[in-house]
Amino acid sequence: MGSVRIGLSQFFSITLLFELGTALVVNLGVLSGKDAWISILLGGLAGILVFLGYAYLYWKHPDLTFAGYTTKILGKAVGIPVSIAYIILYLNLAARDMRDGSTMLAMATMHHTPLFILSTLMILSAAYVLHKGIEVLTRTSLVFLLIVLLIGVFSTIMLMLSGSINLNRLLPVMETGIQPVIESVVRQNYMFPFGEMVCFTMLMPYLSNVRKGPWVIMGAMATAALLLSFTMALNIAVLGADIAQRSPLPLMPAISKISISDFIQRVDIFVVMVLIIGVFFKMSVFFAAALIGISEVFKLPYRKMLYPAALLILLISMLDARSFIEHLNEGGKLLYTIYPFYMLAVPGVLILITAVKGHFSERRPG
Amino acid sequence: MTARHGSSGRSEAEAAGGRREGVERRISPVLGESLRNIQAEVGYSPDIKIREVRLGSSPGIKAAAVHLSGLTDTQALNEFVMGSLLQNTDLLTDDPAVHLPDLLLGRALEIGEASIMDEWHDILIAILGGDTAIFLDGYTDVILCATRGGEWRSVSEPTSQLVVRGPKDGFVESIATNISLVRRRIHSPKLRMETMKIGSETRTPVVMMYMKGYASDDLVGEVRKRLEKVAIDEVLESGFIEELIQDKTITPFPTIYNTERPDVVVGNLLEGRVAVIVDGTPFVLLLPAVFTQFFQSAEDYSQRFDIAILMRIVRYLSFVVLILGPSVYIALTTYHYEMIPTTLLINLLSQRENVPFPAFVEAMLMEVAFEFLREAGVRMPRVIGQTVSVVGALILGSAVVEAGIITPIMVIVVALTGIASFAIPAYNMAIAGRLIRFAFLLLAGMFGFYGITLGLIVMVAHMNSLRSFGIPYLSPFVPLSVRGQKDTILRLPMWLMNTGKSPQQMRAELPKSMQVTTGHEATLSPAIQKNEELQQKRREEDSDEQE
Repeated sequence: MGSVRIGLSQFFSITLLFELGTALVVNLGVLSGKDAWISILLGGLAGILVFLGYAYLYWKHPDLTFAGYTTKILGKAVGIPVSIAYIILYLNLAARDMRDGSTMLAMATMHHTPLFILSTLMILSAAYVLHKGIEVLTRTSLVFLLIVLLIGVFSTIMLMLSGSINLNRLLPVMETGIQPVIESVVRQNYMFPFGEMVCFTMLMPYLSNVRKGPWVIMGAMATAALLLSFTMALNIAVLGADIAQRSPLPLMPAISKISISDFIQRVDIFVVMVLIIGVFFKMSVFFAAALIGISEVFKLPYRKMLYPAALLILLISMLDARSFIEHLNEGGKLLYTIYPFYMLAVPGVLILITAVKGHFSERRPG
Repeated sequence: MTARHGSSGRSEAEAAGGRREGVERRISPVLGESLRNIQAEVGYSPDIKIREVRLGSSPGIKAAAVHLSGLTDTQALNEFVMGSLLQNTDLLTDDPAVHLPDLLLGRALEIGEASIMDEWHDILIAILGGDTAIFLDGYTDVILCATRGGEWRSVSEPTSQLVVRGPKDGFVESIATNISLVRRRIHSPKLRMETMKIGSETRTPVVMMYMKGYASDDLVGEVRKRLEKVAIDEVLESGFIEELIQDKTITPFPTIYNTERPDVVVGNLLEGRVAVIVDGTPFVLLLPAVFTQFFQSAEDYSQRFDIAILMRIVRYLSFVVLILGPSVYIALTTYHYEMIPTTLLINLLSQRENVPFPAFVEAMLMEVAFEFLREAGVRMPRVIGQTVSVVGALILGSAVVEAGIITPIMVIVVALTGIASFAIPAYNMAIAGRLIRFAFLLLAGMFGFYGITLGLIVMVAHMNSLRSFGIPYLSPFVPLSVRGQKDTILRLPMWLMNTGKSPQQMRAELPKSMQVTTGHEATLSPAIQKNEELQQKRREEDSDEQE
């Protein structure tokens, strides 16, 4: 897989940023009302369990990407079409994320700039960064994770000082029992954002430490679950479940409650920055996963397909839906129809085959 | 001097000689012939001085001392070369078995450094460098006396990197003086130097200096390799070398540090870096250089550590203000005015009422005007300096505001950015910031904070892709090294910085990604490769011409 090796701290940061990504600003776990934070935690737990499966596959094939071991396990005739299907998934996810990001941005601040222009700028930046290599992407994520966390700490302190947090809004916990929480987890939270970790199966061969690597990624996932849960709890504590549920970007109105002696006020631009950073890195990771897949399946140099793929993502994101509502509906549908197939079924089959094969090949010499 | 340079220089000299009629390019046993050849070779230049003497009692042996006036130390020449040559006449015998040059070198000459040579080209270069050559009738061996000297600027306070507390001496243009300034501070046999001549026409002496055992052998080897690869006609300043040996040329960020201060060079040598001293310039190159280094000043170590940390934070902050100041102002006033406190916003709007331009145009105008002012201030003769500052202050300060072209707050923003650019200790980093500022201005004018954020991501990614001799440019932040943080934004007190470990041990503990990697042939600057091709072509043309 080349000589590029990416350190654990960088993998931690890219995973964390990837997970926080868009999830930090949207109303995650909204189906469970004010218990959203619980469903996020449960979703994180489920996501980590699913990731253990990916980690198992990685440990069995530490030098191969998902496309690599799929072809190895299933044979060329089945493996290559499956790999191509994954490449399409990643391109689609990248495009969807970009559409999410640019639309939210247009909603939040850039009211008059065309979506296409916003997306073009974003995809060009991503293409530049990926042109420099995946290592550069992960290193850059380290710097911007720091910025996102700083903004988080600053906003939290400011919210506290403004006296906008009312923890009573979170009570009573599980008012209508555990059912809505579970429903939310099943419908959304284990998949978004945690199931999307499937694209890391393309990046993991770059890990510098085979044994510890997946655990670090899981640690980042757990951290992400805690941070997301905390943010959602904060949103609800500031806005109340009702407003938080109705707002497409609840973090924005929550942060705009910050007001310190009429000087520090309306700092929601920080949320916009977090949104931009999050979308950028999430989209870039999908983009990178797709590129690695393309270069592996079609035996093309990595950089050659960079700009064609960028154009493809840009077009998919533009033609994906006629309106944001349609885009969101489509996303909600994909979340429990198509994605489980990619994120659970195929890896599940691979794990099964690998385990059975391993079982038999172990027994033979004995 | 590397072998390759010698040969390439010679082939060109031969080509030049071939065109002139009747010049023999060798030392002749007949003295007059040798002298004529020398004069013909340099085109009968008036500064070549030939002093013909007769050694011993009459008739004696004809001899001639050849030197270049202005480049030689006249006192040494008079006292120790000519004086000893003419006084020690009793040594001379007519015995043909005695080899006269050896005899003179061994018994007569009082000068500290002298040698015997018979290679035409080397002798010529030595004379052109300021040495004195003694030709003896009947011998093809020539005595070369090291009489290099002449006028140089004396050691004075550095003009580009000032400190309140710290040594006040700075490098000068003479490489020998510069080396001595470093030597004077390190009394250690571990201080090693390698000298080479770079530039096929200028033949500029270049010294690579490092501390054995501190600088890794890989790094030293890599620097040596890259210096040897430099093929260029002239080296007038260390910038010529810098551009040709750095990892990558297409970036505004400097990846090699330069300094006028001997104490900085010494400190960096002891940190395991390599210094490259070029004759004819007071600016010494230090490599590898990472981003944080450009924000350090020699004074950080003379002041108390807490004060040093404050000063460093101020410098980083000034860099942020430099690149983002005007663009954040534009983004705020054009796209995100809800962020500005209401009273301030009303104030701003009332100011902007009379101004015909959008904030972006306003900022562009002022920034460009400020760059004019700064460039004029640097280049113009000192005498009219007052005029520019008065005119600049009046025009850019109050007249533009009164004329209703620019808002007062924009003047404040631009002035702040200007001041911030002067707070960065390294001039080349400040220029990089000034350049990047315009890109951010454009992004902010078109996309507000969205453009600024994406611009920042791309900028950080670009910096992450940079390497200076294999060291990641943003280390020790990315890749993160906790031990490396001791001397970055922070400057821990000396007793905490000194871990009591030898540098070898410390380097062994560094993570893999922090260590110097070799094998940069692929990433070598394209200029080197291009230059090499050019040189190759020129050599081929030369040989064609001769045929």
